[in-house]
Amino acid sequence: MTLLEARSLTKSFAGVRALKGASFDLRPGEVHALVGENGAGKSTLIKIMTGAETPDGGTLTVAGETVRRMDPHTARALGIAAIYQQPSLFPDLSVAENIALALDGASLWRRVDWGARRRAAEALLDRLGAHLDPNGAVDALSMPEQQIVEIAKALGARARIVIMDEPTASLSDREVSRLFEIVQRLRADGTGIIYISHRLDEIFTLADRVTVLRDGETLVTREREGLRRDELIHLMVGRELSAVYPKRAIEPGDVVLELRGLSSRASGLSDVSLSVRRGEILGVAGLVGSGRTELAETIFGLRPYDSGTILVRNRAVPIGSPADAIALGIGYLPEDRRQHGAILEMSVAANMTLANLRAVSPRGLVDAAAERREAARFVERLRIKTPSVATEVGLLSGGNQQKVALARWLAIEPSVLVLDEPTQGVDVGAKSEIHAIMGELAARGVGILMISSELPEVLGMSDRIAVMRGGRIVGQVERDAASPQEILSMALHS
Amino acid sequence: MQALRRGEWVLLAALAGEIALFALIAEQFLTLGNFFEVMRLSVELGLLAAAMTPIIITGGIDLSIGAMLGLSAVVFGAASRDWQLPAVAAAALALAVGGAGGALNALLIARVGIPPLIVTLGSLSLFRGLAEGLTQGAVNYSGYSPRFLQLGQGYQWGVVPAQLPLFVLVFAAYVVLLHQSAIGRQLYAIGFTAAGSRYAGVPVARRVGLLYFLSGLVASLAAIVYVAHLGQARADAGAGYELDAITAVVLGGASVFGGRGSLWGTLLGLFAITVLQNGLHLAALPSELVGLLTATLLVTTIAMGASASARRDAARATAGFGVLSLEDEVSLRNTHVAVICAAIVAGALIVSGTNVWLVRSLERTGGPAASAAARPAGGPIVVAMMPKAKGDPYFVSCRAGAEEAARELGVELIWDGPTSLDAAKQNELVENWITRKVNVIAVAVENRAAISSVLRKARERGIKVLTWDADAEANARDYFVNQATAEGIANTLTDEAARLLGGKGDFAIITGALSAANQNEWIAFIRKRLAARYPDLKLATIRPSDDDRDKAFAETQTILRVNPTVKLMMAISAPAVPGSAEAVRQAGRTDVKVIGLSLPNINKPYVHGGVVQTVVLWNTRDLGYLTIHAGALLANGQLGASATTLQAGRLGNIEVRASEIILGPPLMFTKANIDNFDF
Amino acid sequence: MNYRRELSVALAIVVLGVVLALARPAFFSAENLNDLFLANMAVLVCAVGATLVILVGEIDIAVGSTFAFCSVAAGVVATSGLPLPVAALTACVAGVVVGAVDGALVAFAGIPSIVVTLAAMIGVRDALRWATQGAWIENLPASFQWLGLTQGSYPMAMAALLLVLIVSATWLMSETAAGRAVYATGSNRRAATLVGLDPALVVFAVFAIAGLLAGLGALINAARFNQIPSNGGIGLEMKAIAAVVVGGTAISGGRGTMLGTVLGVVLLGAIGPALTFMGVSAYWERALHGAIILTAVAIDALRARRAVPTVTAARAAAVSA
Repeated sequence: MTLLEARSLTKSFAGVRALKGASFDLRPGEVHALVGENGAGKSTLIKIMTGAETPDGGTLTVAGETVRRMDPHTARALGIAAIYQQPSLFPDLSVAENIALALDGASLWRRVDWGARRRAAEALLDRLGAHLDPNGAVDALSMPEQQIVEIAKALGARARIVIMDEPTASLSDREVSRLFEIVQRLRADGTGIIYISHRLDEIFTLADRVTVLRDGETLVTREREGLRRDELIHLMVGRELSAVYPKRAIEPGDVVLELRGLSSRASGLSDVSLSVRRGEILGVAGLVGSGRTELAETIFGLRPYDSGTILVRNRAVPIGSPADAIALGIGYLPEDRRQHGAILEMSVAANMTLANLRAVSPRGLVDAAAERREAARFVERLRIKTPSVATEVGLLSGGNQQKVALARWLAIEPSVLVLDEPTQGVDVGAKSEIHAIMGELAARGVGILMISSELPEVLGMSDRIAVMRGGRIVGQVERDAASPQEILSMALHS
Repeated sequence: MQALRRGEWVLLAALAGEIALFALIAEQFLTLGNFFEVMRLSVELGLLAAAMTPIIITGGIDLSIGAMLGLSAVVFGAASRDWQLPAVAAAALALAVGGAGGALNALLIARVGIPPLIVTLGSLSLFRGLAEGLTQGAVNYSGYSPRFLQLGQGYQWGVVPAQLPLFVLVFAAYVVLLHQSAIGRQLYAIGFTAAGSRYAGVPVARRVGLLYFLSGLVASLAAIVYVAHLGQARADAGAGYELDAITAVVLGGASVFGGRGSLWGTLLGLFAITVLQNGLHLAALPSELVGLLTATLLVTTIAMGASASARRDAARATAGFGVLSLEDEVSLRNTHVAVICAAIVAGALIVSGTNVWLVRSLERTGGPAASAAARPAGGPIVVAMMPKAKGDPYFVSCRAGAEEAARELGVELIWDGPTSLDAAKQNELVENWITRKVNVIAVAVENRAAISSVLRKARERGIKVLTWDADAEANARDYFVNQATAEGIANTLTDEAARLLGGKGDFAIITGALSAANQNEWIAFIRKRLAARYPDLKLATIRPSDDDRDKAFAETQTILRVNPTVKLMMAISAPAVPGSAEAVRQAGRTDVKVIGLSLPNINKPYVHGGVVQTVVLWNTRDLGYLTIHAGALLANGQLGASATTLQAGRLGNIEVRASEIILGPPLMFTKANIDNFDF
Repeated sequence: MNYRRELSVALAIVVLGVVLALARPAFFSAENLNDLFLANMAVLVCAVGATLVILVGEIDIAVGSTFAFCSVAAGVVATSGLPLPVAALTACVAGVVVGAVDGALVAFAGIPSIVVTLAAMIGVRDALRWATQGAWIENLPASFQWLGLTQGSYPMAMAALLLVLIVSATWLMSETAAGRAVYATGSNRRAATLVGLDPALVVFAVFAIAGLLAGLGALINAARFNQIPSNGGIGLEMKAIAAVVVGGTAISGGRGTMLGTVLGVVLLGAIGPALTFMGVSAYWERALHGAIILTAVAIDALRARRAVPTVTAARAAAVSA
């Protein structure tokens, strides 16, 4: 009997139809992938299943019983657990307490058993092969470590229905394999897993069935067996997507960015040396936690360094702040799009000009008309879907938000662009568009440093690949000479 | 930007409605003179609110801005008076202090990264504490050149208050900074997300630091205006102003979480508050209502704003489903604004309703009905009487006598004043009464220098002016109803102390508010009396009680311990006597006597218990009674400039000495007679 | 969790104590300590409430006005002939009412607490002044003072009461799910909803409890005297908040202990009298208070900065969702 069945769910927000008729069903012991472009309705559907939202119409049935009113409490009671991309933890509390709070019932008058909490946490973490101190505060953990805590929470809740929303986004490949093992284990137990991901490789590895959502309704549900990649992409996007990675033949020019022996104890970087040439895309691969984002942030002036030199166009320059970096023509598209990317409450135009207000502010006062023109230019060039340049960015889809963020850095006319996971969490259509833009930029002579955890992307886009491990560069290879195995082993080997 | 302006036009329309309503019910409300007086009174607060706006927009807050006003005022006063610096140099020094304080805030908030609420809470204490320390709580700087005072009390072009152009300048500068410059754009970004702004290359620390630095400077500027306006500089200047500034900013639509708000909104919010206050005063409604209504308005506005933004957030949560149109944005904002309008209208309705009720009740107490229209020549005399603080039981008992006389004479009595000691509010109220064209103004003066110019203005407009309980400058009033001379009070107290101590020993004084002028005057006379007559009687220490019973209690305890030779406590503030007595009683120190200036009722248990030997006072009820009688006589032209005596109802013949009307000798309440009194 | 902050404050207290012991040992006389305790016990009770409010990520600047209101309410009931327990209950109920109204506006109407408590601070005090016309509550029955106990036994009874209060508060905060709910709500409100807590209810409850404690503080303070002024508690909220912050509770919520608050009250409460005893003009007391607050939070912030900045994204990400 089906674990869960959603039939013709509809949901509107302030007049906008998020779901027009989404249906979905989950069998015991299956991994059912849910795919669709950003904006197709996946997160709304999930929110309804977890009780964070109530549907306007349609039915939700769990274990044969129609659910009248779903709220987080009921969802938990029914055995539904969700693991999101962004961990939702209590930074000031310990790991054990974080796990325990998720598992305890909501009754307030219970005595807290700290010993039992610690033991439970240890047990769960062991099952995941993670070595975290249960009594440590969560705010001292790195992002992947926090994700592990999230997964432990779901494990502990003994959920029958586990929803995983882009769970591998911040995990290293080793952690991803561990996750897959857990998924298999859960499956063997008869748990049903709803797996949302943009990473088609994972879907084709894990899933038993695939449901495609488009524009708020279920398009089709197919068995994974017999489904082809391009077919799936076609279903999601509704159009043929040519090569995912644009073919380029670029003659790289002079060195535009060079790092010599960059070290920072605080950031965990040791003796990092690399160079990026004009027109070249240097891919930086490595496990999460290998220091890639720290490196990017150091180049951009967000983090100080103890020793070493940064040379921009062959001149050694001190970069003490993002303003310094920008003045040198360095742009940085951050990894954490929600926190550090486009500012959601500000307009498209305001976001685009934020890093380079001087260009639209003669004598220090903002020229609104000039700003609008600038923004319109980028909206067209990057094909951003927005009603106007005055629209709040928060109302756009994820992919378009990322494009606005990218536009901000294009606006400074950079000579070096550091992209940190530029297509993470972005739907397939927008992803290829961003790749195309990267190709164009490289063709125009911009030197690009691209950090990515997606090996296919690294291999497909980069001219050269640098591999980081433990804050060091452990290897650099040309694209033609690179193989996934080699890169992975460099990233893993200790 | 478009939506912002539209929303504020609606708010402006609502304010117009409020003004129309007040014009109907409040005397003289809708006159140009009144409008500009309202402007004048709002300048200091307006400056602070302007500086506060960008700070709140970046998600911060500055609670220390009022305290910095006080510190700068004191520095200005010290520089002018003690160090004899010319006004410009003193102003420069005051601004330097403001900059330094602002820089301290900026350093801790922007560079060290401590949350602004806590930093400015600490610097609030620090700045106010420095002001108190520098003045030892007591000093009160006054005596500025008339040219300087013109800045705060004079007029440009005849009718525009002199400080208004300054405000307009500062406000305009802030508008350019916040709404038009690139820096302003960055400020809004910081308000939405400081971390995200950093990643966009915004120098967050520098920008935020700038705002707090500017805030310190603006507070000093406001201090200079304040001193010019009131003619005095005291350690408690600007107390509570930060909360009013925050209220204005938040009322104007700024979110305390940052990112939303505008200077125009703040201006309208400021206007809403001051118009409300002004209207209430002119409608002769009690000052407490101001606080209550402002609080209600604040909460109502934000409540509706909060629900509107919750809806906005919910809409945003559906990322990717087409997009909310601009119209939706505007309609959300209009709802917020519509509620402010509704609240203002409701408030005005309440006010007019109460006014009608008041009118009817006045009819009942005798005398022809007091209508809201201009007073016809033959109507009842209107006497506006102001205590130093409405909440002080001393003044409450004066009121009883005043009301008695008002009933007797058929006089309309307006009784209002600041809820706690506040020279600025006294001024404001007198201004409103001038606008309202009352017949007589009678003020218990909190600060001589500050009140005198506005009282002179009242006299120029044909209003009779009396002072009572504490005097202003001689040419600012027609008569001073004096219960006893300062010297007389001081001598009575000193003589009593000497008598109880047998002419020698140590005693201590517990005084009231830190810089109360009359209390300091008494202390000066006490010292003189000691020097002249009682060389063996030593004043060991003087401690303040802030008119707080508990504090007087604690101070007395400490004195008893630290100065064990003290055998008598002299408490010269009404709440301090029972506080001090309780401390003596609880300590079991039967060897220590307690005397002071206070009301009989609250001291009865101690007098009967033998803890307090003597309470000196005068019949406060009679004081109020006499004042109203004198006022009525003045208004009827029956009290000329050279009178030597007057008839005051049941008090009979009252002596008039030069321009002082003397109530009579002080009363001494002892075990023998205290039960005969009930106030 | 480490107790570094509590240790620092304790150290500061010890240093102050040593200085006093050497310069003015009279400070430590039984009577003086007794008086200090009585003068500060209301602050302590209110500071416990303030700790809860700040832990949950909010702020309450209306404590002083609530305090005055509850004092007067108790006095009115006591003078009307009703027995003492009724008066005591009135004080507490009055506090709960104010706290509940504030809490409802913050939790359910979504108005920021600084705004709500600002409005409450002004509104309650003005309403009180209007209602009482500044008059004090006099003619309290003899049984009111010292709550029927004697002057000698009152301090000890109150010390015992406070000890019970603090110990229970500490225990409840760390050993019951309700207490942990407060920390959780303050640490990450969104996550709290996701684990099935109701943050609105928690915030509401915290404000109501803080109101109750303000009423309790008002009662035990009023009982030290035989009259009740209508303008008490001015500045009380600042004292309470300062003590909480100096004691190590993070203003952003989710982190802090009752022990820290107690130490904060002790340190800040001792400064003024210490100054007086040492003959330093007490007009500098306020400035010194301010300096201590700023130093305490500056040390906190500097120490946090020096710690290795693990990916700030992690914390930021953890806080979002």
